[in-house]
Amino acid sequence: MAAAPLRMGERRRPLPLRIISVLSILCGVAAALMILAAVLITCQLIFVRFVLNESTIWQTEAVTYLMIAATMLGLPYVQHLKGHVNVDLLPMLLPPSARKGLAATTLILTGLVAAAMTYHGYELFHLAFERNWKSDTVWGVPLWIPYSAIPLGFGLYLLQLGADLFAPDDGPHPISQRAD
Amino acid sequence: MGPLTLGGLIAIATVLVLFSGVSVAAGLLIVASLFLIIFDGFGSLELLPEIFFGKLDNFALLSIPMFIIMGAAISSTRAGADLYEALERWLTRVPGGLVVSNLGACALFAAMSGSSPATCAAIGKMGIPEMRKRGYPDTVASGAIAAGGTLGILIPPSVTMIVYGISTETSIGRLFLAGVIPGLLLVGLFMVWSIYSTWRQGGAETALARVKYTWRQKVEVLPRVLPFIAIILGVLYALYGGVATPSETAAVGALMCIIVAVLIYRLYDVRSLWAVLRDSTRESVMILFIIGAAGVFSYMLSNLFVTQAIAESIGGMEVNRWVLMFAINIFLLVAGFFLPPVAVILMAAPILLPIVTSAGFDPYWFAVILTINMEIGLITPPVGLNLYVINGIAPDISLRTILVGSMPFVVCMVLAIVILSIFPGLVTALPDALMGPAR
Repeated sequence: MAAAPLRMGERRRPLPLRIISVLSILCGVAAALMILAAVLITCQLIFVRFVLNESTIWQTEAVTYLMIAATMLGLPYVQHLKGHVNVDLLPMLLPPSARKGLAATTLILTGLVAAAMTYHGYELFHLAFERNWKSDTVWGVPLWIPYSAIPLGFGLYLLQLGADLFAPDDGPHPISQRAD
Repeated sequence: MGPLTLGGLIAIATVLVLFSGVSVAAGLLIVASLFLIIFDGFGSLELLPEIFFGKLDNFALLSIPMFIIMGAAISSTRAGADLYEALERWLTRVPGGLVVSNLGACALFAAMSGSSPATCAAIGKMGIPEMRKRGYPDTVASGAIAAGGTLGILIPPSVTMIVYGISTETSIGRLFLAGVIPGLLLVGLFMVWSIYSTWRQGGAETALARVKYTWRQKVEVLPRVLPFIAIILGVLYALYGGVATPSETAAVGALMCIIVAVLIYRLYDVRSLWAVLRDSTRESVMILFIIGAAGVFSYMLSNLFVTQAIAESIGGMEVNRWVLMFAINIFLLVAGFFLPPVAVILMAAPILLPIVTSAGFDPYWFAVILTINMEIGLITPPVGLNLYVINGIAPDISLRTILVGSMPFVVCMVLAIVILSIFPGLVTALPDALMGPAR
């Protein structure tokens, strides 16, 4: 399953990089389970609403927050898989040395944005926790719970970006991508 | 600096950043952050997490991972090959049966999976070797599947249409219906070209050849294919019968597809089920990340008054509306050459839609035209994903041959845009008939 045996080359990698890899994979498993839970809860919602003819209170909100959390936590995992879709038109036109420089620059810029999202995401989470913000629905879920996914997801994404910067050739090869 | 000049600068910066190999979502965040910092200071970044979160806080978006799971479950089985075999056996009396079966299988698989590359891979793995074996030219065999695969984003359910619906606040159910007749029109054009091309290249016998199948052979393949078709019909009925929302319908469809994959295709082992879940998660996260980032990008454009300035200046131009539509098509075509459909739609649709509707065009008609432009991008370099998928499953056919084979299908798509522009009713008739006129 997710905890696939480490590849031969991975044993020689420094411990921090291996830990980041494992963390990213765990995030992927958590994200996948959240999406599966969203499928099952939505089916339960339909059963309650259309078969039992009862009203639903928490399901719609819960699955939306699960999907958001899966997206945030999935960021480091998809980065680990090199699965975020990109267009490498400029790198193809550049000589190998410049290509490496450009790749490092884009990783650093992405890292800076991820750091800003982590920092301000934490502020948002903290504010929601401190002031006990609740969602504007019957369920009234404390908003710090869904907001906590922002600093967590982007923070781990930042870690994975750092790992990719230090060991650009490690990790799985880029996978075929689509965004349709 | 005026908002229009600023818009031009942002466009140049976006193109440069997106072509640098950075992921599309991160690229959008980088450009948005950069311009916000320059014009509004570092403090403006405070709002970004909330905007990102708010963009994803939409129950309708749940339909994206759900339909992706549906497609991944189907793609992990032999359903594509079975579908192809079933059509080949049942359509053998139709002239050009084999290529017609392939394109028909592409259309049906597209309806089940909603994904272009998955359609190409599932049907092409069996279809291309079989067509070549029976004497079809490589250009036709590879081009037909590459083009047939693009139907995945037009024929419902389509992730691209869902993204358009959410970003422009139009009805997803109506968008799905709007794609049906244009999808069939494209399949028809593709079929006519494939048969004509084979016949013209001296393959009259190949194009018209028929293989005989016994009734037993025809019937034995049905039990494996019918459950999936039943799920699709069920999903469409639930959507258009007003029984449930797209997200709810897609969740049930996803669960049913997993159950059928387990029961009929014996996808018991945890490893295969995990692969379905893992691929769906990867794909969903990638798309949802782009959606969140595009939300931040739109916020930046609107905050710096660029969106409003573009809309006003185009609205103020006194150009013929068809000249305007032609220019928009060229823009979409060029954007589609380089960027994935979801990114183009998220960035362009909210800006273009007010312009298009104020020029008197129907938003659902425009969705179809936009999608066909995106389909062209899937089979043209440099990004043309389907070309690489075909190259992956038939490595002995060169990329050049696949490209040459695909070009006439691009012409078919342009022809479809022209036909739909002359007869827009082909798009709007079905949704109007089943859901009443759009408000």
